[in-house]
Amino acid sequence: MTKNPYITMKNMKKSFNGVPVLKNVTLQIEKGEIHALLGENGAGKSTLMNILGGVHQPDNGSIYINDKEVKMSNPRISQEQGISFIHQELNMVTDLKVYENMFLGSELRNKMGFLKVEEMCQQTHDILAKLGVDIDPKEYVRNLATSYKQLIEISKALLHKSTIIIMDEPTTSLAEHEVNRLFELMKNLKKSGISIIYISHKLKEIKAVCDRYTVLRDGEMIKSGDVEQEDLDTITKLMVGKSISQNRFVHEHTFGPVLLEVNNLTSFGLFKNIHFQVKKGEIVGFTGLAGDGRTELFESLFGYRKKYTGEIKINNQLIKIDHPRKAVEAGIGLVPKDRKENAIIKDLSVIHNMSLSSIGNFEKSGFILDNAERDKFQYYKELLNIKVHNPRITIDKLSGGNQQKVIIAKWLEVGADILIFDNPTQGIDVGAKQEIYQQIVALAEQGKSVIILSSEAPEVMRICHTINVMYQGEITARFNGEEATEEEIMHYATGSKREAAKIG
Amino acid sequence: MANTNVKEYSPQVSSAKSRLTWLWSEYSVIIAFIIIFIASTIMNPRFLDINNQLNILMQVSIIGIVALGMTVVMLSGGIDLSVGSVLALVGVITVLALNASGSILVGIFTALVVGSFAGFLNGLMVAKGRIASFIATLGMMAAARSIALYIAEGGSVSGEVKGFTAIANNDLWIFDYPVLIFFAMTALVYILMHKTRFGRYVYALGSNEKAAMLSAIRVDRIKIAVYSLAGLLVSVAAIIETSRLNSISSSSSGVQYELDAIAAVIIGGTRMTGGRGKIIGTLFGVLILGILNNMMNLMNVSPYLQGFVKGLIIIIAVVFQKRE
Repeated sequence: MTKNPYITMKNMKKSFNGVPVLKNVTLQIEKGEIHALLGENGAGKSTLMNILGGVHQPDNGSIYINDKEVKMSNPRISQEQGISFIHQELNMVTDLKVYENMFLGSELRNKMGFLKVEEMCQQTHDILAKLGVDIDPKEYVRNLATSYKQLIEISKALLHKSTIIIMDEPTTSLAEHEVNRLFELMKNLKKSGISIIYISHKLKEIKAVCDRYTVLRDGEMIKSGDVEQEDLDTITKLMVGKSISQNRFVHEHTFGPVLLEVNNLTSFGLFKNIHFQVKKGEIVGFTGLAGDGRTELFESLFGYRKKYTGEIKINNQLIKIDHPRKAVEAGIGLVPKDRKENAIIKDLSVIHNMSLSSIGNFEKSGFILDNAERDKFQYYKELLNIKVHNPRITIDKLSGGNQQKVIIAKWLEVGADILIFDNPTQGIDVGAKQEIYQQIVALAEQGKSVIILSSEAPEVMRICHTINVMYQGEITARFNGEEATEEEIMHYATGSKREAAKIG
Repeated sequence: MANTNVKEYSPQVSSAKSRLTWLWSEYSVIIAFIIIFIASTIMNPRFLDINNQLNILMQVSIIGIVALGMTVVMLSGGIDLSVGSVLALVGVITVLALNASGSILVGIFTALVVGSFAGFLNGLMVAKGRIASFIATLGMMAAARSIALYIAEGGSVSGEVKGFTAIANNDLWIFDYPVLIFFAMTALVYILMHKTRFGRYVYALGSNEKAAMLSAIRVDRIKIAVYSLAGLLVSVAAIIETSRLNSISSSSSGVQYELDAIAAVIIGGTRMTGGRGKIIGTLFGVLILGILNNMMNLMNVSPYLQGFVKGLIIIIAVVFQKRE
């Protein structure tokens, strides 16, 4: 523990809908340090930072800056207290110029109300020069590389005289030399007395640039200390913990022949050299961090993206898939992630969502038979335990878990042999999660090939026979589902380990 | 009367309990229609006269047929500004084909081909060219009008084949043919949109295009079909328009039809961004516009002010629907 912290968040508690997200977390940041905030997805990092940024209000606990208590009742107050939050998705108006973005919302104006363009440009130039960046303040932001956009966000924080900068995974979209430039910059900021809270999954980066760390797990503070005194393994172990590993679903059965074979699939900038096979009755998992390319990989396999090279074989036959229709004809189904954007048609009824991809099953001489659709829905309602009183209401009125079950019913009705589930339990409560896992296991037992994409390692560990770990568009490791440990998966997912030999 | 003709198409309510709220939220346009109808009856006794009623139906039939196609386009999330110009172009070419061949059948066939081809081009631009429908059909609007003007040298062309005028000017019992054609088209489009997979796909695509595509729907083909259908319905309207006076003007026929059609669709409750709306709603939207025009004529409202009243009604209708 530090003796003289600059900012202290003490005994923070926060629940959402009765689910505790933060349980008594205390975070202390010193002046002029880079502090790593670590933890898995759902550990409570973003909630904690959103409280500091004034976005959420804590249920309990207080924030002190220089031993003085402050209330962050909205983002503006937080900003006035010198806190800047640089989000993973950059908040830039790309059609405005650099200086316009810098001064957005706090433009300098003269007495007549006109903008003082030259002065704003001058100030922008001065700050950028201080950071050692050479950008014309009148350049349009859309013409800049991502790393420069990041720098402009940081400059904006300096312009507002921020003393604390929160960076949420700033390096996900940066190339290596850009990362190095960012790190140089962070070290310079540190010297001038600015504190940085650095959120990242990439442990190597933590080691390279951070002074101290705090690990959160399941809403609790696990440990805080100096980065130099710990090695990567210990930190990983702290993040993962031991308590959370739940029992594997037992589903040992013999697999059939290889159904899906993918060779050398590459799409520039998204994924490269992807090889894998899926047998009948096998559940294969793909996991990794956000932006590892797994979603894009399977959107390509499903024909939603067309720009890729390599070969896809089903039943040993080479096929070309350039539209989801072709994928369905080849026996592939996809339950996409982000249900609201990609899966549900919110203006259609529950029944119509169920039948959307297989209307042919309910047609007679070109007309849709309402009764056939309704009866079939009744079947799935019982099979999947879908809770809906009147299936003619629009699907957006159902809870997330029930919506997901309707989407699963839709793909069962298509009768696909290969089913891809992308983040199948996103935003779903524990009970429905369990039911969806059981359904997936049952599908495999019926001889279907199942592919699960998930950012949560425990999820794939629970239900998959084989686990592929991806990092920056490549498969970096392949495990047998029983042998994999969460720590090891984390090593490969964060890029701190890479073992080509592991990939058969 | 119009509303009795249409009742049989409305789908059954599943639960009697939610009937009233359902009626209001789904069919507020019908309630608005009834209110306007009663108000008109009270305000002017001549309104209810059977000949006046039939006259209203006759007047709305052309715009009504165009509005049916517009509804399908707007349900898919697009818009078609080219309907008026394409109507003029179809009319001009139809008359030429009619006069050249001397056959009514050839004339009708030509009309249907030209109209759906213009629609097909719209669909191609929107689906394959990824041009916003507003822009694509704006281009078609200018181009089709220009070609019509060029062919007819800026003037009108008249038919020389006996019997062609019968299409728009004969009647069956008390109904003029155009009214019957309008009702038949309404029924067909209703069935297409609510009983076939095409309709289901249009709603899906208008509501969430990405999810529709990920549901293995051939989104591009559906879009092309949607605009082709709108073009086909425009040619039906063009045949009636041409037949009525046995001539078509390349400069003034079909002018502002797109606005009236869009107004009818909006009053009928179809959402501008697609995915939500009903054919039945458009039917009543068309009838409401027809009654308003008729009442303003009966009450001697200056023709220069009629646009103002129409504009007001459109905006009130939309504000009303927003509240739900």
